[in-house]
Amino acid sequence: MGNPNVGKSAVFNRLTGAKVIESNYPGTTVDYTKGYMRLEGKEIEIIDVPGTFSLEPKDKAEEVAVKILRENKDSVIICVVDSTKLERGLYLAIEIIEEGYPVVIALNMWDIAKDKNIWIDVEKLENILGVPVVPTIAVSGEGIKELISKIKETSPVDIKKILERAGGKK
Amino acid sequence: MKKRLSEMDYGEEGVVKEIDENLRSRLAGMGIRVGVKVRMATKQPINGPVVVTIDRYSISLGLGIADKIIVEVEG
Repeated sequence: MGNPNVGKSAVFNRLTGAKVIESNYPGTTVDYTKGYMRLEGKEIEIIDVPGTFSLEPKDKAEEVAVKILRENKDSVIICVVDSTKLERGLYLAIEIIEEGYPVVIALNMWDIAKDKNIWIDVEKLENILGVPVVPTIAVSGEGIKELISKIKETSPVDIKKILERAGGKK
Repeated sequence: MKKRLSEMDYGEEGVVKEIDENLRSRLAGMGIRVGVKVRMATKQPINGPVVVTIDRYSISLGLGIADKIIVEVEG
């Protein structure tokens, strides 16, 4: 899951070897796509959903994304975040963590962030959130292997713990 | 001076002061919250959407939404 136009389908294609249409426009994916990948000898199902800004849907495509999320309670969620638009990506990621899903965060478009002189402290982010955070460049495939290796490692995190670690007030 | 986000001029900067209650959670996901600094990047003609820049990314908003966001601008 992730905001519109962050490269969810690009990551999906990398994971499954599928050829879902990608384009440089938000809203390319309006319905979901299922694919499969092998993880430690087992075949697992991966679902590519439309982009959404939050779990409160405001259009049809967002509704699809939220519905798929709610229908797959025991899934691991790969949150794809545009590294150049970190804040709003994390907003959604934290909403998903808050609902009790195990999450892996892909900081996608890492190369573009670098070009824009945006530097993200991945380790610190991991420590605060308590979930794996992996820089990725989905179009070239960089970071995808590491992302896959983290799918098994994640577990649900108590949102209160994140607040404590972030030093925020409730 | 307070004005609606939709009334900001091209290039003008301001700090978000109030957001219509019904839009608050929806806009939060886009990074628009009370206290953030916005800069008007583009205004489309004929009641078209506006594009504002927050931090280093841009977001487009329908005029109807931009009407319901109050910003404090200098001067």
